[in-house]
Amino acid sequence: MTVKRLGTYYLALFVWLFTSAMHIPDGYLSPATSLIMFLLVLPFWGLGVRKIRQTMNARSVPLISLMAAFSFVIMMFNIPLPGGTTGHAVGAALAAIVLGPEVAVIAVSIALIIQAFFFGDGGILALGANCFNMAVVIPYVSSAVYQAITKGTETSSPRRLIGAALGGWLGLTAGAFFTAVEFGVQPLLFSAADGTPLYAPYPLSVSLPAMLIPHMLVASVVEGMMTALIILYLQRSNIQVLEAAGEKGGGDGGVSMGKLRWLWVGVAVLVVASPLGLLAPGTAWGEWGVEELTKLGLESIPAGLERLSTLWGAPLADYDLPALGNANMGYLLSALLGIVLVGTMVWLLTLLVTGGAGRQKESI
Amino acid sequence: MTSPPVFEVRNVSFAYDNKQTALENVDLTVRSGESLVILGANGSGKSTLLKMLDGLYFPTRGEIIAFGEPLTEARLRDDAFNFAFRRRVGLVFQDTDVQLFCASVLDEVAFAPLQLGISHGEVRERVDQSLQALRIEKLRDRAPHRLSGGEKRRVALASLLSLNPDVWLLDEPTIGLDPRSQSWLVDFILQLRGQNKTVITATHDLAFALKFATGIHVFDEGHHLAASGKPDEILANHELLHSCNLSHFHMAKEASHCH
Amino acid sequence: MRRQSHFLEKTLSGITQTLERSLFAEAISLQPGLFQSLDPRLKVLATLALLIGVSMARNPWVIGAVYLLVVCLALGSAIPADFFIRRVWLTIPLFTGMIALPALFLIPGQPLLHLPLGLIVTRTGAQSVLFLLLRVTTSLSVVLLLVLTTPWNTVLGALSVLRVPDVFILILGMTFRYIYLLLHIANDMFLSRKSRVIGRMSGSEERHMLAAIGANLLSKSLNMSSEVYLAMVSRGYRGAVVTFKPFRMRPRDWLWAALFAGITVSIIYLGR
Repeated sequence: MTVKRLGTYYLALFVWLFTSAMHIPDGYLSPATSLIMFLLVLPFWGLGVRKIRQTMNARSVPLISLMAAFSFVIMMFNIPLPGGTTGHAVGAALAAIVLGPEVAVIAVSIALIIQAFFFGDGGILALGANCFNMAVVIPYVSSAVYQAITKGTETSSPRRLIGAALGGWLGLTAGAFFTAVEFGVQPLLFSAADGTPLYAPYPLSVSLPAMLIPHMLVASVVEGMMTALIILYLQRSNIQVLEAAGEKGGGDGGVSMGKLRWLWVGVAVLVVASPLGLLAPGTAWGEWGVEELTKLGLESIPAGLERLSTLWGAPLADYDLPALGNANMGYLLSALLGIVLVGTMVWLLTLLVTGGAGRQKESI
Repeated sequence: MTSPPVFEVRNVSFAYDNKQTALENVDLTVRSGESLVILGANGSGKSTLLKMLDGLYFPTRGEIIAFGEPLTEARLRDDAFNFAFRRRVGLVFQDTDVQLFCASVLDEVAFAPLQLGISHGEVRERVDQSLQALRIEKLRDRAPHRLSGGEKRRVALASLLSLNPDVWLLDEPTIGLDPRSQSWLVDFILQLRGQNKTVITATHDLAFALKFATGIHVFDEGHHLAASGKPDEILANHELLHSCNLSHFHMAKEASHCH
Repeated sequence: MRRQSHFLEKTLSGITQTLERSLFAEAISLQPGLFQSLDPRLKVLATLALLIGVSMARNPWVIGAVYLLVVCLALGSAIPADFFIRRVWLTIPLFTGMIALPALFLIPGQPLLHLPLGLIVTRTGAQSVLFLLLRVTTSLSVVLLLVLTTPWNTVLGALSVLRVPDVFILILGMTFRYIYLLLHIANDMFLSRKSRVIGRMSGSEERHMLAAIGANLLSKSLNMSSEVYLAMVSRGYRGAVVTFKPFRMRPRDWLWAALFAGITVSIIYLGR
C-alpha cells in the first residue's frame, strides 16, 4: 500500500513539476468556482483602475500596455536553474516592484487575458482564477515582502535584491498555494452522486503538496531569481526606472499598502509553512477538509475521501524515530526529512527525465 | 511679400529631466507654406525641436508662438485650444513602431480624426481617401507588425493625411526606406508643398533635403542653431557642413546636379 | 556539453513558434469559411456559451457531442481536420493526461481493472479522468476554433459588445501590438548573443545573460511607453478614447445566434 501511495504521489509531483506554470485550463474548475474567482478578482481590478486614474491618468494607457506586453514576453523566457532544470518566470513580482501592486494587477491580468483569448494558454472561464492566483496574489505578496525588507534603503542597496528575490519566491509560492486550494476543493464540492469527481480530481491532501513543493523548488526560485537579477541590472544601467518606482512599489511606498502589507506577508509565511503541516500526521489538509465540510453539512463528499485522507496522513508516519523520546520532535524531524526526501526525489527525477525538456505547457 | 509666421521660436532652450541639454538658445521662424528642413547629426536636438513645435515638450527657457499665440502646457490643457492646435499640426514620429500603436491599419488611420471630434461617417470617407492616396487600400485590415518598413511609413503618413493638418512635422522620414520609397516620399512632400502646406522635416541627409527644401536650418552637435539659409547657401558652406558632422555632403552635391 | 546554450534555443524556438502560430491563424482567418463569415461578436458570445455549457454538463456523452460539433464547425471553416485534432490531442496527454493518470488509482471506488504491482483502477477514478480529459479537450477546441477563424483585432472590436470599456479594449489592442514588437526585439537580442557565444556557458552566466536581456527589454518597454504616449497626444488623445463600432448583425447572424443559444440550452439541459 505504501509503495503504491508513494509511487502515485511522486508521479503527480513530477508531473506538476514540469507543468509548473499555473495557467489553469478550462475544465479543471467547476462553473461555481470560476464565478467566485471572478468575483474575488473584481475588487482588485476596481482598485487598480482607481489607482491608475488617480496617479497616472492618460499616461497609463501606453504604460500598462507595454508592461503587459513585457510580462507576456518574459513568460516565454526559458530560464536555467542550478541542477539542470529550466523554468519560466511570470514577471508579476517585477511588475509589482516597478508599477506598484495595484497597477501590476491590471498589467498582468491583461497579459493573461491575451494568452487565454488569443493563444489558448489558460482557460477563458478560468480567467478569474488565473488572474487571482497570478495577477493579484503574486504582486501583492511580492510587493509586501519587498517593502518589508527594503523599507528605507537606498535604491542601489543590495537589500533591494534580497527583497526582490524573496518577494518573487514567496509571491509565486503563494500563487501556487491558491491554485492548489482551488484544485483541491473541487472533488470535495463537485462530485457526482457515486463519488466521481467532476472536475480536478485530487483533494487538498494531494493538490497542496503536489503544487507547492515543486513550485517552491523550481518555479518560485525562477521568479525570485529573475526578479532580483533584473533589479540588479536596472540598478547598474537604468536606475531611474527604480527611482521612479520608489513611489509606487518599493522602498518607502508603504502608503498604498498600509497595514495590509503585514496581512500579505502573513499569508506568504502561512503558505510556506503549510507543506510542513501536510507531512505531519494529524494536521493534514485532507482530514481538515472532510471534518469541516461535514460540519457544514455538505453531502457531496466522496465516500472514500475520509479513508483516503487518513491513508494520506504522512508518508513518514510509520517511521517515527524511536531514538527521540519526544513525539513532537519526531514529527517535526520526519516532516523536515520528508521535505528533503521529496525534494531530492524530484530533483533526481528532473535530471533523469528532462534533458532540459522543461515545462510542457498546454497550449494551442 | 512674406506669408504669416506659423511658428516663432524665441531663444528656446530645452533640457531633459536628467539635466541633459537638448537645445540651446534657438531662434527661428517658420512661415506658412514653407518647406523647411532641420538638418543635423544624430543627437543634435532635431527631434526635440519637432516635439516642442508639436506641443509635446515645452521649453525650459524661452517661448514658442504658434499661429500668433503662445504654445504652453497650460494653454494645451484647454480643450478648445488643444483641439484647434492638434487639427492644424501633425507629427510623424521617427520610429514608426511608436507612431503605429493601434491594432490595425484602419484603426490607426482613423485614430486622429476620431479623437478630434470628426463624425464617424466623415472619418470613414477620410480613411478611404487617405489609404487610396498612399496606395495602401490593401493594408486596411492588416496589423502594423506585419508591415514592411516602407509600408509602415506610408501608414504613418496616411494616419496624418486623414487629419489633413496645415503643418506637417516629419522626423527623419527616410529611416528604413529603400531608394525607391525615398523618391516616392520626396514626391509626397512636393505634393504637400503644392497644396500650400507647411512642411518641417528633420533629417541628417542633405541629399534628401535638397530635393524639396525652401530653407534649411543647420544644428551643430552642441545643440545650437549653427546656420540658416537657402539650400544653395548651405550647400556652398563646406566648412559648416563638415563641422556639424554632415558628411553626406559630397553625395549631396552630385544629387543636386542631377536634380 | 548537452546543455550548451540550450536554453537560448528553447526560448528562441518558443518565440518563433508564437510568431508563426499567429501567422498561421491569420492565414486561416482570411480564408472563406463558415465561422469566418459570422459576426465576430456572435462568435465571441457563442464561444463563451459553449464553454459554459461544457463546464456545466455532467454527462460525458453530451460533452463528447459538443466536441464532435466543434470539429464539424472547424471542418466547415477551412481548418484542416488533422491539424485541428492533432494540435489539441498532442498537448493534452502531456499535461492533463499526466496529471489525471494517478487519479485512476487514487480515487476510491469499485475496482474496475487489476494491474500488476497491486494497482487497482477504480470505476470512479476512470470516470473522473474521462471527465477531465473530455472537458479540457472540448474547451480548448472551442477556443481554438475562435482563435483560428477570427483576426484578433476583430475579436477586440467584438469585446465592446460585452460592455468592455473602450479604454480597456485600446489597452488590449496596444498590448497585443507591442507583444509582437517586443518578441521581435527579444528575438534579435537572443540571436545577437547566440552568435557571440563560443564554447560552454555556465548556468550562472546563462542566467545573467537572460536577466540582462530582460532588464534591457524592460527599459525599452518603459521608454517606448512614454514615446507612444506622446504619439497618442499628438493625434488628439486626451485620456478617453473614441473608436469605431464596426459590426452590424445581419439576419443570418441572428439565425446562428438562435442556433447557438439552442445548443447551449440543450447542452445544459441534457448534461444535467
